[in-house]
Amino acid sequence: MSPYLQKLRSLLHRRRKEEDLRDELQFHLEEEAEERQAEGLPSEEARRAARRDIGNIALVQEETRAAWTWNYLEQLAQDCRYGFRTIAANKTFSMLAILSLALGIGANTAIYSFMDSLLLLSLPVSNPESLVVLNWGANPTGRDFVMRAMSGSTWSDDRFKEIAGIFPFPAFELIRTNSRGVFSSVFAYYPTRKVNVMVKAQAEQTSGEFVSGDYFRGLEVSPAAGRLIIPDDDRVGAPPIAVLSFAFSQRRFGHAASTPGQSILINNVSFTVAGVAPPGFFGVDPAAAPDFYIPLHTNLVLNVRRGATDPKVYLEQNYYWLEMMARLRPGVSLKQAQAALGPLFHQWVASTANDRERATLPELLIRDGATGLNTLRRQYSKPLYVLLSMVGLILAIACANIANLLLARAAARRREMAVRLSMGAGRFRVIRQLLTESVLLASIGGALGVAFAIWGIRFLTFLMANGREDFTLHPNLNWHVLGAAVALSLLTGLLFGLAPSLQSTRVDVIPALKEARAGQLGLRHSFWRTSLSQLLVVTQIGISLLMLVAAGLFVRTLSNLQSIQLGFNRENVLLFRMNARQAGHRDPEIITFYSDLQKRFSAIPGVRGASASHSPLLGEGTWSGYVVPVGQQRKLPTHILMTTLDFFKTMQIPVVLGRAFDDRDQPGSQAVAVVSEAYVKRNFPDRNPLGQHIVISRRPPMENRDVAIVGVAKDARYGALKGEFRDVAYLPFNQGSYSPVEEMTFALRTSGDPLRYVNTVRAIVSQSDARVPVTDVKTQAAQIDQMMNQEIILARLCTAFAILALLITCVGLYGTMSYTVARRTGEIGIRMALGAPRGAVVWMVLRQVFILAALGLAIGVPTALGISRFVESFIFGVKPNSPAALILAVAILLGAVLLAGYVPARKASRIDPMTAVRHE
Amino acid sequence: MRSEPPSHVELLRGTLDLLILRTLLAGPSHGHAIAKHIQRTSEDLLQVETGSLYPALHRLEARGWIAASWELSVKGKRAKFYRLTRQGRKQLVAEQSKWETFSRAMRLIVNPAGQEGQ
Repeated sequence: MSPYLQKLRSLLHRRRKEEDLRDELQFHLEEEAEERQAEGLPSEEARRAARRDIGNIALVQEETRAAWTWNYLEQLAQDCRYGFRTIAANKTFSMLAILSLALGIGANTAIYSFMDSLLLLSLPVSNPESLVVLNWGANPTGRDFVMRAMSGSTWSDDRFKEIAGIFPFPAFELIRTNSRGVFSSVFAYYPTRKVNVMVKAQAEQTSGEFVSGDYFRGLEVSPAAGRLIIPDDDRVGAPPIAVLSFAFSQRRFGHAASTPGQSILINNVSFTVAGVAPPGFFGVDPAAAPDFYIPLHTNLVLNVRRGATDPKVYLEQNYYWLEMMARLRPGVSLKQAQAALGPLFHQWVASTANDRERATLPELLIRDGATGLNTLRRQYSKPLYVLLSMVGLILAIACANIANLLLARAAARRREMAVRLSMGAGRFRVIRQLLTESVLLASIGGALGVAFAIWGIRFLTFLMANGREDFTLHPNLNWHVLGAAVALSLLTGLLFGLAPSLQSTRVDVIPALKEARAGQLGLRHSFWRTSLSQLLVVTQIGISLLMLVAAGLFVRTLSNLQSIQLGFNRENVLLFRMNARQAGHRDPEIITFYSDLQKRFSAIPGVRGASASHSPLLGEGTWSGYVVPVGQQRKLPTHILMTTLDFFKTMQIPVVLGRAFDDRDQPGSQAVAVVSEAYVKRNFPDRNPLGQHIVISRRPPMENRDVAIVGVAKDARYGALKGEFRDVAYLPFNQGSYSPVEEMTFALRTSGDPLRYVNTVRAIVSQSDARVPVTDVKTQAAQIDQMMNQEIILARLCTAFAILALLITCVGLYGTMSYTVARRTGEIGIRMALGAPRGAVVWMVLRQVFILAALGLAIGVPTALGISRFVESFIFGVKPNSPAALILAVAILLGAVLLAGYVPARKASRIDPMTAVRHE
Repeated sequence: MRSEPPSHVELLRGTLDLLILRTLLAGPSHGHAIAKHIQRTSEDLLQVETGSLYPALHRLEARGWIAASWELSVKGKRAKFYRLTRQGRKQLVAEQSKWETFSRAMRLIVNPAGQEGQ
């Protein structure tokens, strides 16, 4: 039998072994006695002699037992029991240390799990690493740019002022037909945005994706049922088919397998369901999960984009709208693809530009596409990096606390160690005992940390989604990070638990035993411990200051944003959206349809006003075009909003000059406009704008429209919350001065909670036309909150983290000062016996607290000033090195630190001199 | 100078294991018999303390060099008999050669004249 199995067995049969040992020794005794008897001693005396000979039986037993308790498992169990007892003995401090460790581990794991799902997760398709995304970058100056019209978004980075993933259709054709050498497949897609989908006579507003014929083949996805879209489906005149997402087909048809062959209505056009995409497939953008996929060319029958019903959209060379991805051929690198296609695209784009546009042409950028598009990443990665560094710092100060706790404990147990060593305990055994305790502490912290991480992920998802139903990011617990965090805390435990214990077990046993009281140390040793623990506290104070400053900046940003001048009243407004054109309404009836609804909404009891605009004021982009006074040159585009007549009254935007829209403004009467003050400032700096005519430029085939200014409205926010007020031209929606009416966003000014009116609104709409779904129901205040989502998250989490950091630091400081006071009890007693007043003792302790705090601030303040510029892009209305934020942070920190230091200081002043001195 | 040899010698640390293994080479035996055998064979020069014998036996057993089983003694009583395992035999060879090297070295240093006398 192997020795290990034997040990295991001996553990299991310990009781039997005890009996065996007793029997064995008993036999020895009898044998010895018999021998003595044989030598001629009387039996009684022989037995006594045998006993004398064997010595202390208990000791023999003990020592023999030691031979078989040399057993890992048993010793581990013993160590753990002992460790738990030690942890329980220091309840408060252990609990706080474990808690801070758990919070540190939990917060790190949660935040990192988010980063992981956001930044690192690949698309759920085969071989995602060979996918690429096609973008372009340009540095346009002025308004001469080859992209004369667009649908989509652009962003910027260090190299380019404008980057985008949208291309004209001819560019897609160009790359598709000329990239055979580097790409095995090129495919394009374009979001449908919200459309009306009718399944089994039930309407729903939802969004899908137009995809080119090679989309699914390029992504290497296989269907869950039926078939996916193939190139032959994507041509003019092909029968319209759709592929549904797995979730959508389950939701609407109950079962994916029974879906193919069914028919659905998208914007009143009939589509046959050809198949279902596999579960887990969400297209190419983790931020959007389309419910259905339809061939790109169905664009022509669907009328999704305004004024884009004619096939010319496919030929327009300066209209950018289509996004592209491709799959690299095996063995082809990004660089090679870039080198092959860059010049080709350049040549083509140059041929579409006029002379002035040719100066700043876009440049093709081929980028890694394994993780899909990066809209979410652009939006959240920077705040996540800030949060990640914050939780990293929290873990650091939590570890510092563990270190402090273990240092204090190791020092306090020097005498205990000396006792154990002098009793014959092996040094290795003692060290292992200490090690077990550290590991135990870290393990409890780690286990709790898992719980906090799970809870934290849920909380973060809730915070980030902020009420949005279509939030697609659902991160999983990242075990790597969890492992790393636990390993880090273990390492801390080992380092700070073991280093001092190594030292204490090496000490000469005798002087340590002679020390009058536990925890009273030799001078040199005490200096080493104290200075290390004070160094840790100073670092903690410095880090806490950083977090407080950051929290201060983010909270100020949020309150600045919340108190921003909107130009309209956000309180008690209910917003909702509908699209009657998608449900089958046409001109001019659609105007009457919306006007009737508006009248019926205004008549709801409790509704003080109702109006609608073709886009919400906030929460979405703006619509813009050239609106130029007659006879002037085009400068910059003006923002345009088509509204119902009561708009200014309902939104409470004051009209400062002239009049608002009223019943005089009808289809066929003089076309009018109300312009904002900013518009007046820019276009009529020295003239009365009333009665002036302005020209609204429209895309062909629509003609430009001449309208008269009848009023000037006070500036109001349209599109963005931050920045200068934009110049806006408001047009009555019934005069058709800008574009055909499609979707409208209604606003109801209510008395009391706006959400109380939702059911009435839905009832009125379904009574008018059940095919028109009401979507995006929310209050104006909630909508604004969603726009400030990032700032709200940062402000809340940073505040929470700063408080946490402060708390952990205070615990650390409290522990250190309590230890110092306990160590100096004798000295303080003597001082008091010699007549030192209580106040002087309090001051003596507090002075040390102040010194620590000052050192911490000396590190923290310059660091805060140095690194706060990294968060400059997240803050608004406050300078990164704002003295107010800094002073507030310092004040809060000093207050907290003083409080944490005062408790031990007070305890010190309550020391009874007689007891303390006698204690020595 | 004392010429009289001592009546007892103290056991050198680590030698007890060798003595036990060597004793068991003759066949299985119980603790008391092992102690007596060592004492008798060394002409009463070596006395094995009970307090070190049993821990040593159990330690050797834990290491797998000897194995134990309960059997009847010559007098018909239940006794725990130890016997050498194959691993123990190897260990014995190793310990024995170690000891021989050690004692030769000791002799060379302590009694260099002894060599001349041979």
